[in-house]
Amino acid sequence: MNIELLHRPANAVAKITMSSGEKIISEAGAMIAMSEDMSVVTSKYAKGGSGGFLKGIKRLFAGENFFMNRFSPGPNGGELYLGTSSMGDLMTRKIDGEFIVQGGSFVACEDTIDVDASWQGFKSLFSGESTFWVKLSGTGQVIVNSFGAIYEVDVNDTYTVDTGHIVAFEETLDFSVRKAGGSWISAIFGGEGLVCEFNGKGKVYCQSHNQNNFGYSLAPMLKEV
Amino acid sequence: METNMTESQQSEIKYEMIGKPDYAMIKMTLKANQTVQVEPSAMAAMDTNIQMKTKAKGGLFAGVKRMLSSESFFMNEFTAQNSSGELYISPALPGDMDHVYLNNNTIILQGSAFVASSMGVTINSQFQGLKGLFNGEGFFFIQATGTGDLFFNTYGGILEIPVDGDYIVDNGYIVAFDSTLQYETQVIGGLKLGLTTFMSGEGIVCKFSGKGRLWIQTRQLAPYIGWAWTFAPRKNNS
Repeated sequence: MNIELLHRPANAVAKITMSSGEKIISEAGAMIAMSEDMSVVTSKYAKGGSGGFLKGIKRLFAGENFFMNRFSPGPNGGELYLGTSSMGDLMTRKIDGEFIVQGGSFVACEDTIDVDASWQGFKSLFSGESTFWVKLSGTGQVIVNSFGAIYEVDVNDTYTVDTGHIVAFEETLDFSVRKAGGSWISAIFGGEGLVCEFNGKGKVYCQSHNQNNFGYSLAPMLKEV
Repeated sequence: METNMTESQQSEIKYEMIGKPDYAMIKMTLKANQTVQVEPSAMAAMDTNIQMKTKAKGGLFAGVKRMLSSESFFMNEFTAQNSSGELYISPALPGDMDHVYLNNNTIILQGSAFVASSMGVTINSQFQGLKGLFNGEGFFFIQATGTGDLFFNTYGGILEIPVDGDYIVDNGYIVAFDSTLQYETQVIGGLKLGLTTFMSGEGIVCKFSGKGRLWIQTRQLAPYIGWAWTFAPRKNNS
Protein backbone atom coordinates (compact mmCIF):
# COMPACT_ATOMS: atom_id res chain seq x y z
CA MET A 1 0.00 0.00 0.00
CA ASN A 2 1.41 3.33 -1.05
CA ILE A 3 0.06 6.54 0.49
CA GLU A 4 0.90 9.80 -1.24
CA LEU A 5 -0.20 13.15 0.21
CA LEU A 6 -1.15 15.80 -2.36
CA HIS A 7 -2.01 19.49 -2.07
CA ARG A 8 -0.36 19.88 1.30
CA PRO A 9 -0.67 21.76 3.53
CA ALA A 10 -3.95 23.69 3.19
CA ASN A 11 -6.10 21.29 1.17
CA ALA A 12 -4.33 17.98 1.61
CA VAL A 13 -5.71 14.69 0.28
CA ALA A 14 -4.33 11.16 0.44
CA LYS A 15 -3.93 9.17 -2.76
CA ILE A 16 -3.78 5.52 -1.76
CA THR A 17 -2.59 2.91 -4.24
CA MET A 18 -3.55 -0.57 -3.10
CA SER A 19 -2.70 -4.05 -4.27
CA SER A 20 -5.26 -6.79 -4.31
CA GLY A 21 -5.81 -8.12 -0.80
CA GLU A 22 -4.89 -4.88 0.95
CA LYS A 23 -7.62 -3.11 2.85
CA ILE A 24 -8.02 0.28 4.43
CA ILE A 25 -10.54 1.51 7.03
CA SER A 26 -11.64 5.13 6.84
CA GLU A 27 -13.94 7.50 8.60
CA ALA A 28 -17.36 7.63 6.87
CA GLY A 29 -17.58 10.34 4.26
CA ALA A 30 -13.85 10.61 3.59
CA MET A 31 -13.94 9.05 0.12
CA ILE A 32 -13.56 11.55 -2.72
CA ALA A 33 -12.90 9.26 -5.68
CA MET A 34 -11.81 5.68 -6.34
CA SER A 35 -11.39 2.86 -8.83
CA GLU A 36 -14.70 1.49 -9.98
CA ASP A 37 -14.17 -2.04 -8.71
CA MET A 38 -13.24 -0.98 -5.18
CA SER A 39 -15.59 -2.66 -2.72
CA VAL A 40 -16.95 -0.66 0.21
CA VAL A 41 -18.36 -2.16 3.37
CA THR A 42 -19.64 -0.02 6.21
CA SER A 43 -19.38 -1.10 9.81
CA LYS A 44 -20.50 0.42 13.04
CA TYR A 45 -17.92 1.23 15.67
CA ALA A 46 -19.06 1.74 19.24
CA LYS A 47 -17.93 5.12 20.43
CA GLY A 48 -17.31 6.38 23.91
CA GLY A 49 -18.17 3.03 25.41
CA SER A 50 -21.89 3.36 25.04
CA GLY A 51 -22.92 1.32 22.06
CA GLY A 52 -26.18 0.23 20.62
CA PHE A 53 -27.37 0.73 17.11
CA LEU A 54 -30.01 3.35 17.96
CA LYS A 55 -27.53 5.43 19.85
CA GLY A 56 -25.33 5.17 16.80
CA ILE A 57 -28.04 6.54 14.58
CA LYS A 58 -28.77 9.32 17.04
CA ARG A 59 -25.14 10.36 16.95
CA LEU A 60 -25.03 10.10 13.21
CA PHE A 61 -27.80 12.63 12.94
CA ALA A 62 -26.15 14.76 15.57
CA GLY A 63 -23.45 15.27 12.98
CA GLU A 64 -20.89 12.87 14.34
CA ASN A 65 -19.38 10.16 12.24
CA PHE A 66 -19.81 6.87 13.87
CA PHE A 67 -19.55 4.52 10.95
CA MET A 68 -16.42 3.49 9.15
CA ASN A 69 -15.88 2.17 5.67
CA ARG A 70 -13.60 -0.68 4.72
CA PHE A 71 -12.24 -0.39 1.19
CA SER A 72 -10.77 -3.37 -0.69
CA PRO A 73 -9.65 -3.21 -4.30
CA GLY A 74 -10.45 -5.65 -7.09
CA PRO A 75 -8.08 -8.32 -8.45
CA ASN A 76 -5.85 -5.80 -10.24
CA GLY A 77 -5.52 -3.45 -7.27
CA GLY A 78 -6.89 0.07 -7.26
CA GLU A 79 -6.62 3.63 -6.09
CA LEU A 80 -8.57 5.66 -3.58
CA TYR A 81 -8.58 9.37 -2.73
CA LEU A 82 -9.46 10.25 0.86
CA GLY A 83 -10.00 13.76 2.16
CA THR A 84 -11.35 15.60 5.14
CA SER A 85 -13.94 18.31 5.63
CA SER A 86 -11.75 20.72 7.57
CA MET A 87 -9.09 22.94 6.14
CA GLY A 88 -5.62 21.71 6.87
CA ASP A 89 -2.94 19.16 6.53
CA LEU A 90 -2.73 15.38 6.59
CA MET A 91 -0.02 13.21 8.05
CA THR A 92 0.77 9.59 7.45
CA ARG A 93 2.99 7.39 9.56
CA LYS A 94 3.54 3.76 10.29
CA ILE A 95 2.66 2.66 13.78
CA ASP A 96 3.81 -0.38 15.63
CA GLY A 97 2.04 -0.47 18.96
CA GLU A 98 -0.64 1.80 20.34
CA PHE A 99 -1.51 5.22 19.02
CA ILE A 100 -4.23 7.54 20.37
CA VAL A 101 -5.93 9.86 17.85
CA GLN A 102 -8.39 12.64 18.57
CA GLY A 103 -11.71 11.49 17.07
CA GLY A 104 -12.02 14.38 14.62
CA SER A 105 -8.48 13.83 13.36
CA PHE A 106 -8.80 10.18 12.41
CA VAL A 107 -8.95 9.72 8.63
CA ALA A 108 -7.91 6.15 7.90
CA CYS A 109 -5.65 3.22 8.73
CA GLU A 110 -4.66 -0.11 7.32
CA ASP A 111 -6.97 -3.01 8.04
CA THR A 112 -4.17 -4.69 10.02
CA ILE A 113 -4.81 -2.14 12.77
CA ASP A 114 -7.46 -2.55 15.40
CA VAL A 115 -9.70 0.51 15.80
CA ASP A 116 -11.23 1.17 19.20
CA ALA A 117 -13.43 4.26 19.21
CA SER A 118 -14.53 3.65 22.77
CA TRP A 119 -11.21 4.46 24.40
CA GLN A 120 -11.89 6.00 27.78
CA GLY A 121 -8.49 7.25 28.82
CA PHE A 122 -9.50 10.88 29.04
CA LYS A 123 -13.11 10.33 29.97
CA SER A 124 -13.46 11.85 33.38
CA LEU A 125 -11.27 14.77 32.48
CA PHE A 126 -12.98 15.64 29.27
CA SER A 127 -16.53 15.10 30.40
CA GLY A 128 -18.68 17.82 28.97
CA GLU A 129 -16.52 18.13 25.89
CA SER A 130 -17.67 16.49 22.70
CA THR A 131 -14.21 15.17 21.94
CA PHE A 132 -13.82 11.43 21.62
CA TRP A 133 -10.64 9.48 21.09
CA VAL A 134 -9.74 6.56 18.91
CA LYS A 135 -7.21 4.00 20.05
CA LEU A 136 -5.34 2.29 17.23
CA SER A 137 -3.33 -0.84 17.96
CA GLY A 138 -1.22 -2.97 15.70
CA THR A 139 1.24 -2.52 12.87
CA GLY A 140 0.46 -0.52 9.76
CA GLN A 141 0.02 2.89 8.22
CA VAL A 142 -2.25 5.54 9.70
CA ILE A 143 -3.57 8.79 8.18
CA VAL A 144 -4.62 11.69 10.43
CA ASN A 145 -5.72 15.23 9.65
CA SER A 146 -5.11 18.49 11.45
CA PHE A 147 -6.83 21.84 11.53
CA GLY A 148 -4.09 24.02 10.09
CA ALA A 149 -0.55 22.71 10.00
CA ILE A 150 0.71 19.67 11.86
CA TYR A 151 3.89 19.46 13.90
CA GLU A 152 5.65 16.77 15.85
CA VAL A 153 6.88 17.10 19.40
CA ASP A 154 9.41 14.58 20.64
CA VAL A 155 8.66 14.26 24.33
CA ASN A 156 11.53 13.18 26.47
CA ASP A 157 10.53 13.85 30.06
CA THR A 158 7.54 16.19 30.22
CA TYR A 159 5.55 18.42 27.86
CA THR A 160 2.31 20.42 28.04
CA VAL A 161 -0.17 20.78 25.16
CA ASP A 162 -3.52 22.57 25.05
CA THR A 163 -6.13 19.84 24.65
CA GLY A 164 -7.59 21.56 21.57
CA HIS A 165 -4.26 21.19 19.80
CA ILE A 166 -3.69 17.45 20.25
CA VAL A 167 -3.98 15.45 17.05
CA ALA A 168 -2.46 12.16 18.20
CA PHE A 169 0.14 10.67 20.51
CA GLU A 170 2.01 7.48 21.17
CA GLU A 171 0.57 5.42 23.98
CA THR A 172 4.03 4.97 25.50
CA LEU A 173 3.43 8.38 27.06
CA ASP A 174 1.70 8.92 30.37
CA PHE A 175 -0.73 11.79 30.36
CA SER A 176 -2.83 13.78 32.73
CA VAL A 177 -5.18 16.68 32.11
CA ARG A 178 -5.25 19.79 34.25
CA LYS A 179 -6.22 23.45 34.13
CA ALA A 180 -3.59 25.52 32.37
CA GLY A 181 -3.01 28.15 35.04
CA GLY A 182 -3.83 26.14 38.11
CA SER A 183 -6.88 28.24 38.91
CA TRP A 184 -10.30 28.46 37.30
CA ILE A 185 -9.82 32.21 36.85
CA SER A 186 -6.96 31.76 34.44
CA ALA A 187 -8.70 28.79 32.87
CA ILE A 188 -11.74 30.90 32.03
CA PHE A 189 -10.32 34.36 31.46
CA GLY A 190 -6.86 33.49 30.28
CA GLY A 191 -8.26 31.71 27.27
CA GLU A 192 -6.25 28.62 28.10
CA GLY A 193 -8.66 25.93 29.13
CA LEU A 194 -7.48 22.44 29.74
CA VAL A 195 -4.00 21.27 28.99
CA CYS A 196 -2.61 17.81 28.76
CA GLU A 197 0.65 17.04 30.45
CA PHE A 198 2.60 14.24 28.80
CA ASN A 199 5.31 12.36 30.65
CA GLY A 200 7.83 9.83 29.49
CA LYS A 201 9.21 9.13 26.05
CA GLY A 202 7.21 9.30 22.83
CA LYS A 203 5.82 11.49 20.10
CA VAL A 204 2.91 13.92 20.29
CA TYR A 205 1.43 15.37 17.09
CA CYS A 206 -0.12 18.80 17.40
CA GLN A 207 -2.10 21.11 15.15
CA SER A 208 -1.23 24.77 14.63
CA HIS A 209 -4.83 25.93 15.12
CA ASN A 210 -7.67 25.14 17.46
CA GLN A 211 -10.84 24.53 15.50
CA ASN A 212 -13.13 25.75 18.28
CA ASN A 213 -11.21 28.98 18.72
CA PHE A 214 -11.59 29.68 15.02
CA GLY A 215 -15.30 28.87 15.21
CA TYR A 216 -15.85 31.17 18.16
CA SER A 217 -14.06 33.98 16.36
CA LEU A 218 -16.48 33.57 13.44
CA ALA A 219 -19.53 33.56 15.71
CA PRO A 220 -20.05 37.35 15.99
CA MET A 221 -20.17 37.57 12.18
CA LEU A 222 -22.83 34.89 11.83
CA LYS A 223 -26.43 36.04 11.97
CA GLU A 224 -28.57 34.81 14.81
CA VAL A 225 -30.66 31.82 13.88
CA MET B 1 -4.88 32.12 -34.85
CA GLU B 2 -1.64 32.85 -33.05
CA THR B 3 -0.91 30.74 -30.01
CA ASN B 4 1.90 30.57 -27.54
CA MET B 5 3.19 27.74 -25.40
CA THR B 6 3.47 28.16 -21.65
CA GLU B 7 5.19 25.23 -20.08
CA SER B 8 3.71 22.25 -21.90
CA GLN B 9 0.27 23.77 -22.15
CA GLN B 10 -0.89 25.44 -25.32
CA SER B 11 -2.74 28.73 -24.86
CA GLU B 12 -4.19 31.55 -26.89
CA ILE B 13 -4.05 34.14 -24.11
CA LYS B 14 -0.69 34.75 -22.48
CA TYR B 15 -1.16 34.05 -18.78
CA GLU B 16 0.56 33.18 -15.55
CA MET B 17 -0.98 31.56 -12.48
CA ILE B 18 -0.12 33.19 -9.17
CA GLY B 19 -0.63 31.75 -5.68
CA LYS B 20 -1.28 28.14 -6.68
CA PRO B 21 -2.51 25.88 -5.19
CA ASP B 22 -4.15 27.50 -2.16
CA TYR B 23 -4.92 31.02 -3.42
CA ALA B 24 -4.68 30.82 -7.18
CA MET B 25 -5.33 33.82 -9.41
CA ILE B 26 -4.47 34.60 -13.05
CA LYS B 27 -2.36 37.37 -14.49
CA MET B 28 -3.25 37.71 -18.18
CA THR B 29 -1.39 39.78 -20.72
CA LEU B 30 -3.87 40.53 -23.47
CA LYS B 31 -2.57 41.43 -26.90
CA ALA B 32 -3.81 44.60 -28.57
CA ASN B 33 -7.54 44.17 -29.26
CA GLN B 34 -7.66 40.70 -27.70
CA THR B 35 -10.82 40.00 -25.68
CA VAL B 36 -11.49 37.59 -22.81
CA GLN B 37 -14.78 36.77 -21.11
CA VAL B 38 -14.74 36.60 -17.33
CA GLU B 39 -17.27 35.68 -14.65
CA PRO B 40 -18.74 38.71 -12.84
CA SER B 41 -16.78 40.33 -9.97
CA ALA B 42 -13.56 38.45 -10.68
CA MET B 43 -11.51 41.38 -12.01
CA ALA B 44 -8.95 42.35 -9.37
CA ALA B 45 -6.72 44.83 -11.20
CA MET B 46 -6.00 45.93 -14.77
CA ASP B 47 -4.23 48.38 -17.03
CA THR B 48 -6.20 51.50 -17.85
CA ASN B 49 -6.38 50.66 -21.56
CA ILE B 50 -8.49 47.60 -20.80
CA GLN B 51 -12.13 48.20 -21.43
CA MET B 52 -14.89 46.25 -19.77
CA LYS B 53 -18.30 45.50 -21.25
CA THR B 54 -21.00 43.59 -19.44
CA LYS B 55 -22.96 41.19 -21.62
CA ALA B 56 -26.11 39.26 -20.94
CA LYS B 57 -25.25 35.93 -22.45
CA GLY B 58 -27.64 34.25 -24.83
CA GLY B 59 -29.93 37.29 -25.05
CA LEU B 60 -32.01 38.90 -22.38
CA PHE B 61 -34.76 36.32 -22.18
CA ALA B 62 -32.40 33.38 -21.81
CA GLY B 63 -30.47 35.46 -19.31
CA VAL B 64 -33.48 36.11 -17.13
CA LYS B 65 -34.41 32.46 -17.26
CA ARG B 66 -30.93 31.56 -16.14
CA MET B 67 -30.99 34.13 -13.38
CA LEU B 68 -34.16 32.56 -12.03
CA SER B 69 -32.40 29.23 -11.89
CA SER B 70 -29.67 30.97 -9.89
CA GLU B 71 -27.05 30.64 -12.59
CA SER B 72 -24.84 33.57 -13.48
CA PHE B 73 -26.57 35.72 -16.01
CA PHE B 74 -23.93 38.27 -16.93
CA MET B 75 -20.45 37.88 -18.26
CA ASN B 76 -17.84 40.62 -18.44
CA GLU B 77 -15.76 41.06 -21.57
CA PHE B 78 -12.36 42.69 -21.23
CA THR B 79 -10.58 44.05 -24.31
CA ALA B 80 -7.10 45.55 -24.52
CA GLN B 81 -7.57 48.76 -26.50
CA ASN B 82 -4.89 49.68 -29.05
CA SER B 83 -1.99 48.14 -27.19
CA SER B 84 -1.44 45.13 -24.97
CA GLY B 85 -2.54 45.24 -21.33
CA GLU B 86 -2.51 43.26 -18.09
CA LEU B 87 -5.55 41.89 -16.33
CA TYR B 88 -5.57 40.18 -12.93
CA ILE B 89 -8.45 37.79 -12.29
CA SER B 90 -9.24 36.55 -8.83
CA PRO B 91 -12.19 34.19 -8.28
CA ALA B 92 -14.47 34.46 -5.27
CA LEU B 93 -13.51 31.15 -3.69
CA PRO B 94 -10.02 30.70 -2.26
CA GLY B 95 -8.57 27.60 -3.84
CA ASP B 96 -6.92 26.10 -6.86
CA MET B 97 -7.19 27.01 -10.53
CA ASP B 98 -6.59 25.14 -13.75
CA HIS B 99 -6.38 25.91 -17.45
CA VAL B 100 -7.27 23.78 -20.45
CA TYR B 101 -6.92 24.57 -24.11
CA LEU B 102 -9.96 23.46 -26.07
CA ASN B 103 -9.39 22.42 -29.65
CA ASN B 104 -12.84 22.01 -31.06
CA ASN B 105 -13.94 19.85 -28.17
CA THR B 106 -16.22 20.12 -25.14
CA ILE B 107 -15.70 20.15 -21.41
CA ILE B 108 -18.50 19.87 -18.90
CA LEU B 109 -17.90 22.09 -15.92
CA GLN B 110 -19.55 22.64 -12.56
CA GLY B 111 -21.23 26.03 -13.07
CA SER B 112 -19.57 27.86 -10.21
CA ALA B 113 -16.13 26.67 -11.38
CA PHE B 114 -16.11 28.82 -14.51
CA VAL B 115 -13.65 31.74 -14.27
CA ALA B 116 -12.78 32.91 -17.77
CA SER B 117 -12.42 31.84 -21.39
CA SER B 118 -11.35 32.95 -24.85
CA MET B 119 -14.09 34.34 -27.06
CA GLY B 120 -13.81 31.20 -29.20
CA VAL B 121 -15.23 29.15 -26.34
CA THR B 122 -19.01 29.09 -26.09
CA ILE B 123 -20.52 28.68 -22.65
CA ASN B 124 -23.84 26.91 -22.65
CA SER B 125 -25.57 27.12 -19.33
CA GLN B 126 -28.78 25.72 -20.75
CA PHE B 127 -27.14 22.35 -20.63
CA GLN B 128 -29.43 20.12 -18.64
CA GLY B 129 -27.65 16.82 -19.06
CA LEU B 130 -26.78 16.40 -15.44
CA LYS B 131 -29.69 18.17 -13.89
CA GLY B 132 -31.50 15.07 -12.75
CA LEU B 133 -28.35 13.67 -11.27
CA PHE B 134 -27.51 16.62 -9.12
CA ASN B 135 -30.98 17.69 -8.17
CA GLY B 136 -31.24 19.03 -4.70
CA GLU B 137 -27.51 19.44 -4.27
CA GLY B 138 -27.45 22.98 -5.59
CA PHE B 139 -25.27 22.06 -8.52
CA PHE B 140 -25.61 23.04 -12.11
CA PHE B 141 -23.30 22.16 -14.94
CA ILE B 142 -22.34 24.11 -18.03
CA GLN B 143 -20.80 23.10 -21.33
CA ALA B 144 -17.73 24.85 -22.66
CA THR B 145 -17.33 24.17 -26.38
CA GLY B 146 -15.06 25.49 -29.11
CA THR B 147 -11.44 26.44 -29.51
CA GLY B 148 -9.44 28.50 -27.05
CA ASP B 149 -8.61 28.84 -23.36
CA LEU B 150 -10.79 27.84 -20.43
CA PHE B 151 -9.92 28.73 -16.83
CA PHE B 152 -11.72 27.20 -13.88
CA ASN B 153 -11.29 27.16 -10.11
CA THR B 154 -12.63 25.50 -6.97
CA TYR B 155 -12.56 25.78 -3.23
CA GLY B 156 -9.75 23.41 -2.20
CA GLY B 157 -7.21 21.87 -4.52
CA ILE B 158 -7.79 20.47 -8.01
CA LEU B 159 -6.65 17.00 -9.06
CA GLU B 160 -6.67 15.83 -12.65
CA ILE B 161 -7.47 12.14 -13.07
CA PRO B 162 -6.91 10.50 -16.46
CA VAL B 163 -9.85 8.11 -16.74
CA ASP B 164 -9.46 5.05 -18.91
CA GLY B 165 -12.16 2.59 -18.03
CA ASP B 166 -14.43 3.18 -15.06
CA TYR B 167 -13.97 5.55 -12.15
CA ILE B 168 -16.11 6.55 -9.15
CA VAL B 169 -16.34 10.09 -7.72
CA ASP B 170 -18.46 11.43 -4.88
CA ASN B 171 -20.89 13.83 -6.61
CA GLY B 172 -19.92 16.79 -4.48
CA TYR B 173 -16.30 16.70 -5.66
CA ILE B 174 -16.74 16.86 -9.44
CA VAL B 175 -15.21 19.97 -11.02
CA ALA B 176 -15.02 19.20 -14.74
CA PHE B 177 -14.67 16.40 -17.28
CA ASP B 178 -14.19 15.80 -20.97
CA SER B 179 -17.46 15.23 -22.79
CA THR B 180 -15.94 12.02 -24.14
CA LEU B 181 -16.68 10.45 -20.75
CA GLN B 182 -20.01 8.80 -20.04
CA TYR B 183 -21.48 9.24 -16.59
CA GLU B 184 -24.22 7.80 -14.45
CA THR B 185 -25.10 8.17 -10.80
CA GLN B 186 -25.01 5.24 -8.48
CA VAL B 187 -25.74 4.52 -4.90
CA ILE B 188 -22.56 3.36 -3.29
CA GLY B 189 -22.43 -0.33 -2.53
CA GLY B 190 -24.70 -1.10 -5.47
CA LEU B 191 -28.44 -1.04 -5.23
CA LYS B 192 -28.55 -3.23 -2.20
CA LEU B 193 -30.18 -1.03 0.39
CA GLY B 194 -28.07 -2.12 3.28
CA LEU B 195 -26.04 -0.46 5.98
CA THR B 196 -23.40 0.69 3.49
CA THR B 197 -25.89 2.62 1.41
CA PHE B 198 -27.22 4.62 4.30
CA MET B 199 -24.36 4.90 6.73
CA SER B 200 -21.26 5.08 4.58
CA GLY B 201 -21.53 8.86 4.43
CA GLU B 202 -20.67 8.68 0.76
CA GLY B 203 -24.22 9.03 -0.49
CA ILE B 204 -24.59 9.24 -4.22
CA VAL B 205 -21.57 8.80 -6.42
CA CYS B 206 -21.00 9.37 -10.12
CA LYS B 207 -19.54 6.59 -12.25
CA PHE B 208 -17.51 7.80 -15.22
CA SER B 209 -16.70 5.46 -18.11
CA GLY B 210 -14.60 5.76 -21.22
CA LYS B 211 -11.45 7.71 -21.88
CA GLY B 212 -10.95 11.34 -20.93
CA ARG B 213 -9.81 13.79 -18.27
CA LEU B 214 -11.66 14.28 -15.01
CA TRP B 215 -10.94 17.08 -12.56
CA ILE B 216 -11.94 16.75 -8.91
CA GLN B 217 -11.62 19.03 -5.88
CA THR B 218 -9.99 18.15 -2.58
CA ARG B 219 -12.41 20.09 -0.35
CA GLN B 220 -16.08 21.03 -0.38
CA LEU B 221 -17.52 24.30 0.76
CA ALA B 222 -20.77 22.90 2.20
CA PRO B 223 -19.24 20.98 5.13
CA TYR B 224 -17.20 24.03 6.05
CA ILE B 225 -20.31 26.21 6.09
CA GLY B 226 -22.17 23.56 8.08
CA TRP B 227 -19.38 23.50 10.63
CA ALA B 228 -19.21 27.31 10.88
CA TRP B 229 -22.98 27.49 11.47
CA THR B 230 -22.65 25.38 14.58
CA PHE B 231 -20.98 28.45 16.11
CA ALA B 232 -23.76 30.87 15.10
CA PRO B 233 -25.35 32.67 18.05
CA ARG B 234 -28.79 31.24 18.83
CA LYS B 235 -31.85 33.21 19.80
CA ASN B 236 -32.75 32.38 23.33
CA ASN B 237 -36.34 31.21 23.20
CA SER B 238 -36.49 29.58 26.58
